[in-house]
Amino acid sequence: MNIAMLLEMAADGLGDRVAFGSRDDGLTYARVRDLATGVGAHVARSGAHTVALVHETTRLTPVALFGAAWGGAAYAPLNYRLPEAARLELLHRLRPAEVADDAWLEIAPDAGHAFPDEPDHPAVLLFTSGSTAEPKAAVLHHDQLLAYQLNTVEFASADDDEAALVAVPPFHIAGVTAILSSTYAGRRIVPLPRFTAEDWLTTARAEAVTHAFVVPTMLARIVAAMEDDPDLRVPTLRHLAYGGARMPAPILARALRLFPNAGFVNAYGLTETSSTVSVLGPDDHRAALDGDPATQRRLSSVGQPVPGIEVLVVDDQGAAVPVDTSGEVLVRGAQVSGDYVGEGSQRDGDGWLHTGDRGRIDADGYLYIEGRGDDTIIRGGENISPAEVEDALLHHPAVASAAVVGLPDEEWGERVAAMVSLRANASATSDELRTFVHDMIGSLKTPETLEIRDELPHTATGKILRRQVKSELVDRQ
Amino acid sequence: MANQLGKRYQCSTCEATVLITKAGDGELACHGQPMEIAQAKPLPSSD
Repeated sequence: MNIAMLLEMAADGLGDRVAFGSRDDGLTYARVRDLATGVGAHVARSGAHTVALVHETTRLTPVALFGAAWGGAAYAPLNYRLPEAARLELLHRLRPAEVADDAWLEIAPDAGHAFPDEPDHPAVLLFTSGSTAEPKAAVLHHDQLLAYQLNTVEFASADDDEAALVAVPPFHIAGVTAILSSTYAGRRIVPLPRFTAEDWLTTARAEAVTHAFVVPTMLARIVAAMEDDPDLRVPTLRHLAYGGARMPAPILARALRLFPNAGFVNAYGLTETSSTVSVLGPDDHRAALDGDPATQRRLSSVGQPVPGIEVLVVDDQGAAVPVDTSGEVLVRGAQVSGDYVGEGSQRDGDGWLHTGDRGRIDADGYLYIEGRGDDTIIRGGENISPAEVEDALLHHPAVASAAVVGLPDEEWGERVAAMVSLRANASATSDELRTFVHDMIGSLKTPETLEIRDELPHTATGKILRRQVKSELVDRQ
Repeated sequence: MANQLGKRYQCSTCEATVLITKAGDGELACHGQPMEIAQAKPLPSSD
């Protein structure tokens, strides 16, 4: 097996359908296969072990991904925003490598070149963002990526009019699975190379987009833009998936009101698990809107495991915890990798991957992710979840984004600190925001320090860099 | 009867499942019986 099989099936069954780009001049599945065979033959001749892509999402993205697979090489999309020295260092580690080039979009097909059948070979290498340490390359094998596809996506299940807007960059796991899933389902991909909320909304409308995946930072900006300008609407959107980081409840509530006809999907997964392992679907989202408190709480869950995935929550000793008890989240299944280049597998002897996330499972089997294990703030023996304080801040109409961390404190061990950015044309003082949080969730959880910034430090994929927030707040003390 | 691309065929006796990756003629059989198309379990797209 090889992930190239997904494209081959799409090209056999839906060859004339547009795979990537606009309906009038996009690449069809047959065309992507032609290019992938040409690139594959070229890569195989070169002896490269990897195909690096140093580019935003363009039509080169699917050609590089499937061309690498066709040539028996691993696809390694890099963060094109990295400084040149860091980028060259990563490229050096990938040698022998071919760097994907726009000339590949004109390459001659090589129909005689078949893709290799090497299920346990690396198909995709993704560098962790490496905000502190040396970036590690997570390895996803052909059979792992295919397990996710074959367990969760039905071949050619997309209607002819469906189109998915891909705003995550190629080097994010969601940027990889977006291409694989859309190809296998037969859903046209509309790329959005550089995200801004206005571009997302106008492109989605112009291309009659039906499906989209966003990370929470993107959704926060999209809802703010829609609230500021009632003309920015996407009537065709019927499916909005989100994931990549915890979704603040106030942002989700606003989004549900602004997209009344879209089915919402919360997807939880890791790079190391070939993307999604747990899903909260549209029915659960709708039920929560007009439901009782129990179904409303479910909106803060990541739903239930996808087929082929087991989830277990364990205590510090590694023993399974009872229902509704917090612990570390473990996942197991054919799509779960946990391998890094040069380090081998991080799975334990029974095949479980320790995610490092804290969570719990309720009596109905819904999984709640409470945050990274090391993010919990312990103030005078009280455990405080940064998520709860961030949500309280985000209920304030002036707040655009919020990060809450624990700072060292001589008296309490740790104290609550926040960094906040405000919405355009909004104003609020630090004291106003602290009073607002105090009135909502009490003095214990109210940030003692609160700084207002133009923008919070975040990764290239929109995840807030908590460590950096913390160190900047410590430096200001 | 031709096999349909992308469909899964199941044996009604054992747990064998076959995914058709190349359409073709012929009939899939297992335990002496034709295999039948498995109903898709739709899952909301998460990416």
